[in-house]
Amino acid sequence: MIRYIIRRLLWGVVLLIVVAALMFILFRVLPTGNPALLRAGRDPQPKLVKEIEVVLGLSKPLTVQFWDYMKEIFFHFNFGYSYYSQESVKSLIAERLPATLSLTFGAAVLWVVGGLSVGIVSALRRHSLLDRTLMGGALLAISVPEFWLGLVFLFLFSSDIGKFKIFPGAGSYVPLTTDPWKWFTSLIMPWIVLAAGSAAFFARLMRSSLSETMEEDYIRTARAKGLPERQVVRQGVRSAINPMITLFGLEVGVLLGGAILVEAVFNIPGIGELFYKSIQTSDFPVTQGTVLLGSMFIILANIVVDVAYAYLDPRVRYS
Amino acid sequence: MRSTPTILATAAAALAALALAACGSSESGSSTATGSASVLSTAGYQSPATESLSGKRGGTLVVLQESDFEHLDPGITYAALDYPVVFATQRPLYSNKPNSTEPTPDMAASAPEVSADNKTVTVHLKEGIHFSPPVNREVTSEDVAYAIERGLNPNVANPYIKTYFNSLEGIEQGNGGPIKGIETPNKHEIVFHLDESKGSFVAEALVLPLTAAVPKEYAEKFDKNKPSNYASYEVATGPYMLKNNAEGKVLGIGYVPGKSATLVRNPNWNPATDFRPAYLNEIAIKLGGSEPVIDRQVLEGTNIVQNEPVPQSGVRLAAEHYKDQMDISPGGGNRYIAVDNKVGPFANIDLRKALWAATDRDALDRARGGELVGTVATHFIYPTIAGFEQAGGAKGLKVDYNEHPEGDMAVAEKYIKLAGYPSGKYTGSKPIQVVGASSPPEKEDSEIVNQTLKNMGFNTKLTLVEISTMYAKYCGVPKEEIDVCPNVGWIADFADPQTVLNVTFNGKSIEPTGNVNYGQTDDPKINAAMTAGETVVGRQARATAWAKIDDELVEQAAAIPFDWEKTPRLEGKDVHGVAMIWNEGAWDYSFTSLK
Repeated sequence: MIRYIIRRLLWGVVLLIVVAALMFILFRVLPTGNPALLRAGRDPQPKLVKEIEVVLGLSKPLTVQFWDYMKEIFFHFNFGYSYYSQESVKSLIAERLPATLSLTFGAAVLWVVGGLSVGIVSALRRHSLLDRTLMGGALLAISVPEFWLGLVFLFLFSSDIGKFKIFPGAGSYVPLTTDPWKWFTSLIMPWIVLAAGSAAFFARLMRSSLSETMEEDYIRTARAKGLPERQVVRQGVRSAINPMITLFGLEVGVLLGGAILVEAVFNIPGIGELFYKSIQTSDFPVTQGTVLLGSMFIILANIVVDVAYAYLDPRVRYS
Repeated sequence: MRSTPTILATAAAALAALALAACGSSESGSSTATGSASVLSTAGYQSPATESLSGKRGGTLVVLQESDFEHLDPGITYAALDYPVVFATQRPLYSNKPNSTEPTPDMAASAPEVSADNKTVTVHLKEGIHFSPPVNREVTSEDVAYAIERGLNPNVANPYIKTYFNSLEGIEQGNGGPIKGIETPNKHEIVFHLDESKGSFVAEALVLPLTAAVPKEYAEKFDKNKPSNYASYEVATGPYMLKNNAEGKVLGIGYVPGKSATLVRNPNWNPATDFRPAYLNEIAIKLGGSEPVIDRQVLEGTNIVQNEPVPQSGVRLAAEHYKDQMDISPGGGNRYIAVDNKVGPFANIDLRKALWAATDRDALDRARGGELVGTVATHFIYPTIAGFEQAGGAKGLKVDYNEHPEGDMAVAEKYIKLAGYPSGKYTGSKPIQVVGASSPPEKEDSEIVNQTLKNMGFNTKLTLVEISTMYAKYCGVPKEEIDVCPNVGWIADFADPQTVLNVTFNGKSIEPTGNVNYGQTDDPKINAAMTAGETVVGRQARATAWAKIDDELVEQAAAIPFDWEKTPRLEGKDVHGVAMIWNEGAWDYSFTSLK
């Protein structure tokens, strides 16, 4: 197992190098916008653009730029400096990471607990009114865009502009270390909005998976042997949950994507918002730093999932 | 020397005209331009032209702003969004009061003195102005000289110094060190020596933030970094400063990128030297969020303002329920349809006139949001810019293709026939390229123009792309030979008409990339008039000279203007917001107060 984990981690590093290289190609070789041109004003004179390119290091040969870029990231853990604020990307990310972690971890807990619970209840009460209601709600939650759902929640429930002034609204986020209660209340709506889609997806999958499992021969045998229904369900859930574990790793990527929109709507100063704004302003070092961080999270999540899978399913053993 | 009273008299006359026009705006607000009054104010709404400048002292103003700042360094800043902070913290040689486009001496003690040969500009500085902590010392003319000179340092790379100060002696050799053309005979006098007769124009450009003093001994070490990070430690001369620590560090304290900016009172500011009242104690700017939420937070809030152009949904919401919380400023720039004057069918002047006549400019204006956000344009120099009235005011030049804002196909057919198409419809077979922006309202404008072209007989290929792509890959690249760009525009850097017309229609300004002469207008007569216009002395004379160039552009139908933009801004219930008429209606934090 240890060898497997080490091998996966090394592959993760290779994957990160590939992602970094792709980012370089995307933003330096095939630029969506020349930052020097943006910086040179509305009537950009060619000489000025060239001067700015020199200052920003964009005039060096691409191979040199690539080597400098990779060397700084992987040997010095330096993602460069924002073209605009001159703040180091590392600091920008470090400052915003707690907000994004707060948002995504909370949403992940909500999505797993909520999604699985709803799925189990629906599977056990198949075709009942409760099942239909829950699955209808799940379909709705999968279908609505997070951005729209966020706005609806704010216009309905936020304490400043909502019809029913219940939860703190946009811009109310405070770090956990500053005020734990305000931190918690400010994240209730964002957690629900971010978790809604994934929870609904998990609920539907869990319902389907558990429904199938509950009709397996070994479940029937367990019941025939007189095993209490509670234990039968536990056995069924344990089997049905395995596919969810694999999907969890993939859904982390979806969750991080959703965090960009949720952070924007609720004005949570996190990595997602930083990424979004950096794209708008061609602030390449910031874009590269945030994408690499996101990739790292997804890779780690998948490694964790694969290891967890082995523990949960005795048939799976890695060598 | 040009006498100071002449400048002041001209300024006073223009201000009076502005105020008169604003006061007499009972019929204002019509989307069809019927008179000058309608373009300066909108009936039922506050306008910076008429806003009271008095207020109550104290309190904290909260500003909600979706976008982050681009650059707060006075030597680099060039965005309307950055200016409210820059002009609350920095004092250029001259500044505009919020309700005026006439420069007022700021760091300067009096109006600039322009020599008889128009080649020397002398400015005397006020005494008793000090830098904020940690510099603390008095500002001298050498600080102003350094501020301008550092604009040529590639690490600073000011984006407009070579556009407006290109006649300074020795500017081509400048790289951040002393420039031959800037002399400081004593601590409170600075002299600009020019190698061309452009003194009057350079004097107008002294309102730009590049002229705000920068202490060399303090900033030099930051300016050596590639790029300069002076903004992270910048000191102030204005009534406010970005909150900093004892070392002067602003980054992470008074400005947290993407999160917040905090302006506090500058303890070294001397109100006796300034025209700004600086009512507020603190300005807390919260960055991020989304526009629809911000609009509601402001309209339902108390001490909050929003500091970005308001989307149509926000304007509608405010117009329906919060009318007295919306301030509508004229002078938001012009919008026009750029047509390729060089190659393709629109190289033919009669086809350009036909398109002008056929275009329903009322519909284009309505698509942008109607009377609350614009007025139908009839020429290029827009309201609040000198030369607007001389160029015909709201009605513009009297030519048949400019008479009917709702579009007139009969006139269009007349010009199509003159272009050599006897049927009155264009019959060329080659499709023309139309490239517009994909976001509203530009998308709707593009579709209206595209339909107009089809009605005229053109076979069109409409491409809608993201707005920055539209400029960077299509409309700003001459070799792409885009026939029609339906929604381009321009905003002046200051109220001199040269800044509206010169780079956008002068053949000399055409660049292979990042080109802003979108239609590649390169008419020798217009080019010569612009060259002559650059050297004209005196605001009134300059207005007249450039208004004639505007007339010529209309006669040539170099492009089709369709909108003079207004900019609505929202304020909370307890805010007496004062907007800058010269800066797209952005809030002036030095004049805004709480009720």
